[in-house]
Amino acid sequence: MDVSQYLEIFLDETKEHLQSLNTEILNLEQDPENSDTINEIFRAAHSLKGMAGTMGYKRMQALTHDMENVFSEVRNGTIKVKGNMIDILFKCLDALEEYLNAIQASGDEGTNDNAPLIKLLNEVLESKGSGSEAAPKAEKHQDVSGDSVPKQVVVHEITFDETQKRVLNEALRQGKNVYGITVKVQETCILKAARAFLVFKSLEALGEIIVSDPPVQDIEDERFDLEFSLVFISDSPLSRVVDAVKHVSEIEDVQGSVVDRQKLVYVSDGDNMDVELPMASDKNGSMEAVSAERQAVLQTAGGTKTAEKKTQASKPVVNRTVRVDIEKLDVLMNLVSELIIAKNSLVSASGGERGNSSGFNEQIEYLESVTTNLHESVMKVRMVPIESVVNKFPRMIRDLSKKLDKKMELYMSGEETELDRTVVDEIGDPLMHLLRNAADHGLETAQIRKESGKPAIGSIFLDAYQDGNNVVIEVRDDGAGINTEMVKNKAVSRGIITVDQGENMSEQEIMNLLFHAGFSTADVVSDVSGRGVGLDVVKSKIEALSGEVEVKSKPGIGSTWTIRLPLTLAIIQALMVDVGGEKYAVSLGSIQTIEDISPSEIKTVQNKEVIHLRGIVIPLIRLSGVLDVTSKKSPEDNMTVVIVKKGSRMAGLVVDELMGQQEIVIKSLGRYITKCKVISGATILGDGEVALILDTNALF
Amino acid sequence: MEELKVGLENETTQFIVVRLGEEQYGINIKYVDNIVRMQHITRVPKVQEYLRGVINLRGEVIPVMSIRVKMDLELDEYSKATRIIILKLEQQGNIGIIVDEVKEVVTLDNSQIEKVAYDSKEERENFIFAIGKYGDGGLISLLDLNMVVLDKENV
Repeated sequence: MDVSQYLEIFLDETKEHLQSLNTEILNLEQDPENSDTINEIFRAAHSLKGMAGTMGYKRMQALTHDMENVFSEVRNGTIKVKGNMIDILFKCLDALEEYLNAIQASGDEGTNDNAPLIKLLNEVLESKGSGSEAAPKAEKHQDVSGDSVPKQVVVHEITFDETQKRVLNEALRQGKNVYGITVKVQETCILKAARAFLVFKSLEALGEIIVSDPPVQDIEDERFDLEFSLVFISDSPLSRVVDAVKHVSEIEDVQGSVVDRQKLVYVSDGDNMDVELPMASDKNGSMEAVSAERQAVLQTAGGTKTAEKKTQASKPVVNRTVRVDIEKLDVLMNLVSELIIAKNSLVSASGGERGNSSGFNEQIEYLESVTTNLHESVMKVRMVPIESVVNKFPRMIRDLSKKLDKKMELYMSGEETELDRTVVDEIGDPLMHLLRNAADHGLETAQIRKESGKPAIGSIFLDAYQDGNNVVIEVRDDGAGINTEMVKNKAVSRGIITVDQGENMSEQEIMNLLFHAGFSTADVVSDVSGRGVGLDVVKSKIEALSGEVEVKSKPGIGSTWTIRLPLTLAIIQALMVDVGGEKYAVSLGSIQTIEDISPSEIKTVQNKEVIHLRGIVIPLIRLSGVLDVTSKKSPEDNMTVVIVKKGSRMAGLVVDELMGQQEIVIKSLGRYITKCKVISGATILGDGEVALILDTNALF
Repeated sequence: MEELKVGLENETTQFIVVRLGEEQYGINIKYVDNIVRMQHITRVPKVQEYLRGVINLRGEVIPVMSIRVKMDLELDEYSKATRIIILKLEQQGNIGIIVDEVKEVVTLDNSQIEKVAYDSKEERENFIFAIGKYGDGGLISLLDLNMVVLDKENV
């Protein structure tokens, strides 16, 4: 068996445990006496240690071991939670995350022992009162006594074959220990096979597994109930073997017994086999291993089990999640795409022969509803709550608060809002940038806040909610707001705009300069923010996800950064338009209205064509010009204008003809065509032709 | 030993022989994914002139370039013999190139391939890495595909 197949599970679970540790330690800081929190922390740390150990990551295991010791003392009430300790614990979590990243990148935990951290942890341990020494010892003692209770013979009836018999006899002759071990997995365990594997792995480090019941293959395939038994040869004492198995998390109980020579002889006698002469008999290949006294053992085990169950009952219910390989989902997604293409070709086939029987159309309508539903459900599978990303922010804000010496509080809402998995994975960094910005540039120092009559503690809000086909994430602070005058001066001094341009710009336009590459308003470059790479990276990242980001600010009241992301990426509703005989798709999401405009309504402002529509002046963009084609329409004809919006701005796209609404599957133009900014992708129409998708955001 | 040496010298490469205008060119077969008939190419605006657009190849959108335009020859005239050769390149992914005609596949051993070592000012000749000799004095220019698809403006 190979560990690598469990590496992914390990990484995922470790991340989860680290996240819950982060959250719970934050809670602990607020409420140091909460025993539920402490138990949860202890449990997570313990699982972490076990997992790291069985995967062979010794450094990680050592660090978690010491952390666990600290938590254990906290749980026993011998150490009081202090700010200093919380800081150390957070540093430990950071170190663990580093290990994790190293493992993810190279499969190896690296060579950093984090000795200073371990030393700090031990100092915390030593700082406890002298009277507390007894508690852990007692616990340990209990453990030992638990093992020393003569638990016996739990191995089920196991059949040995010839070679196994020989190995057993040989081992006994060499004076090695033979143990019968029965392992019981917790009922709540999801990946029983993985746990069993970890048990096998930890045992293999100590000796040799001769046989298991059910057979190894069945265990690997998870074809066992909660228990499995094995016969094991080892030099180590039984208590060590049992301990090794117990280190695997989610193992409820381990029973071990020594299979000595007499027993083996006794049992094998019944099968006409002499241990001393292993080659003598091969008539019946079966040998019954030790099954006596099972009843008694079960009873003794029963006592310990009820005790364990009690502690389990206080455990909070953990969210059960199904992990699906995203590649599998992508395949499913592609299948749906194909289905939609097939449907589209049916639609175009029916269009060719008008007056066809209505049954055919019904079929198409049915197919359409099926594909739409299928699309929706597949999309839902791909959706994950943004919780997994935003969860790490409270911890970040806490650290920033200390680093910047500003008091601040993060309020989050809508963590359950769901987004496409790929988007969720990408959105973390931009959000982090915005939050750091809010903390560093947005909020004032406590003194200035007091002078302007605000509460000393600054507030940062992170709100997420769904708005139609979009998800909106807002990062808001109640800080000083953006000083447009300063931004303007900076932009001029950096040569981004000229003085004249600056004079003519609106406040909003000036604020948008913040997204310009190489712009940073912080006079002092700090390691929190202010390298001048933040906001333009935020913008480009979000635009890469087909989203948009906007900023609004009021001096003295605060700033709001709004990120708007599409719910889905792969399939969109689009309006097909004809420009100079070519077909283009415009995403329905960006279209406001469609207008019929006579040429006489066109006015010119600053040499640009505009129309006046219900009180709003909208610039006109002639797509034939942008796309280098000749319009089929004559200048006197009424124009079809598609009004699109980008954020709060609007523009009217002049097209030749509207061709109808269609669900389209977005395909990339590939790596080779990169120069074309106005085209965001392509799609395949029902007749097999390729149509290009206009990126209306790029037209503004 | 002797046999081994012969084996090395006789290492062969297969080339697809295509016609561009009056000249014959060879394309190493290992880069060829597919050869398809000329079909409607959807124009992509605002790109280099030699990029003729994109086609749909079994559900994939594939860019198509005109090797003639890239070589500063006159524009392609599409005929019944015109084909699009779909190349599979590691860096750029799949790219189609338009050729006037696909003639045959030839197998050349190393002795029939003569490397051209000069660094010509004339761009057209940089697209060729060797000359292949086959049959009775037939010559084909072997295309250096990486140079052909290289996008100078993006480098």
